[in-house]
Amino acid sequence: MTEAVDVKDTGGWICNRCGLPLTVQKTRLQYFRVIFALDLPACPGCGMILIDEELATGKMAEAEEALEDK
Amino acid sequence: MDETTDTSPPQETESLCPVCFRRIKARRICHGDEVFLVKECPDHGSFKTVLWRGKPSMSEWQRPKGPVHPDISYTQIERGCPFDCGLCNAHEQLPCSVLIEVTDRCNLHCPVCFADSGVREIEDPSLERLSWLLERAMAAAGPCNLQLSGGEPTLRDDLPDIIGLARGIGFSFIQVNTNGLRLSKDKDYAVRLKEAGLSSVFLQFDGTDDTIYRALRGRGLLDNKLPAVRNCGEVGLGVILVPTLIKGVNTGNVGDIVRQALAMSPTVRGVHFQPVSYFGRFPVSYGDEGRFTLPELMSAIEDQTAGLMNLNDFSPPGCEHSHCSFHATYMHTSDGGIRLIGAAGGDNCCPLDLSAGGVNKTVDTVSTRWRLPSNTSPLSDCSSLSGERACCGRPQPFARDEGDMDLDLFLREIASRSFTISAMAFQDAENLDLERLRGCCISVVSQDGMLVPFCAYNLTARDGKGLYRRRSRSRQ
Repeated sequence: MTEAVDVKDTGGWICNRCGLPLTVQKTRLQYFRVIFALDLPACPGCGMILIDEELATGKMAEAEEALEDK
Repeated sequence: MDETTDTSPPQETESLCPVCFRRIKARRICHGDEVFLVKECPDHGSFKTVLWRGKPSMSEWQRPKGPVHPDISYTQIERGCPFDCGLCNAHEQLPCSVLIEVTDRCNLHCPVCFADSGVREIEDPSLERLSWLLERAMAAAGPCNLQLSGGEPTLRDDLPDIIGLARGIGFSFIQVNTNGLRLSKDKDYAVRLKEAGLSSVFLQFDGTDDTIYRALRGRGLLDNKLPAVRNCGEVGLGVILVPTLIKGVNTGNVGDIVRQALAMSPTVRGVHFQPVSYFGRFPVSYGDEGRFTLPELMSAIEDQTAGLMNLNDFSPPGCEHSHCSFHATYMHTSDGGIRLIGAAGGDNCCPLDLSAGGVNKTVDTVSTRWRLPSNTSPLSDCSSLSGERACCGRPQPFARDEGDMDLDLFLREIASRSFTISAMAFQDAENLDLERLRGCCISVVSQDGMLVPFCAYNLTARDGKGLYRRRSRSRQ
């Protein structure tokens, strides 16, 4: 997930490995037993998914706190 | 019984003689998928009590935790466990919950009552006394959960004042353990409790049939339970249903209890089963045949809900000793879907610290914890993100959801729509295991200001004598 390079000229993220612009794709991510469906930027070539910091520290962190077994 | 069929080495522990309370050695021995506690008193002979029947096995049911000793002990160790509770500094877990009995009075006289309430003439503690007791509990245990219990705490007209007092001292989660009789009739009282800061109601709820209440409580009570729940819901109080289970009395009603609880969701936030323990007041005829062990209950939940909940959903606890309880957390969506959301199999993640790093750390952490599902979920025709239920034949009132979850929907609903199934197996003088007792995280604040583990506080010898609780009479 650390392979992307923001190329302002293309207006979006490019996969550093494949050289392909990321496209928004339906992805599924699992945390414990729950699988979430998310539309996320991903590389059409290698499948790398980009999760930006806002999402990770925002909604995903909120979900983790709700799910973590206390 | 033939102990030579057992291939597992017996595990040594300690217990008490149920007659004289002498501390004696004990062993946990396995016979097939049953585990027994075996012990011998030099004066009163041998005792054998079932601890565990069935799967998952007792040895699998583990969630190891390192001992943590209390910083503040109100007692010195003299005779050793369990005679010096205060908590003593050899105790191996900090309290996550303290329970205080605000009255001994009760408006029922249940044949089964761990507190043996209503038979002693004990004055209600004054607010000043309760303040002192709660301050002591706060000093030793910190701002943990507080349970207001009794007797029947709602007999106190000043219960809202007690709640306010507790809030002022720093307790932020306060529950009341109640039979619901007053709450079913006195909604104004429920409003006052809520406004004073009550967080939750733990409602005695032994079943969906009045024959059960007549057996356990001495009279039919079902007509009170549903109005109690309704009144709590209308004033914004969540309710947990608490059935006491006795094999053969209401263990066949477990599925109906779960369905009734779901039908009353989201006011009802879960069910907390308590298999009977022989302390306090109970019919002496119940022996091992009345016991319903945790794995039996897990299987009963699966069998009686036709798989709505699965045995594999349940996990051992993170707080108390592993063999004390199980739990599973679900989300109950408004369309009747039940989705497991708790960690399975004792998974135990450390809290995620996202504040400590930048993008790379975030990415590393997220990539460690979140993963791509290994298989495509076997989406049933009846599950979808919108949760439409009736697409393949007769609509089910509740159905298990295993499909993908919309993250935004999850975050919107989880706070109000979580639903927990749990159970706690208390110990009594027959099956007491001091290793488990030392891991206890529920302390009773005794009348003289000590913190005593719940099972030690309620421990009752065969003649009715209490180890800690003062009794004014012997068992007949």
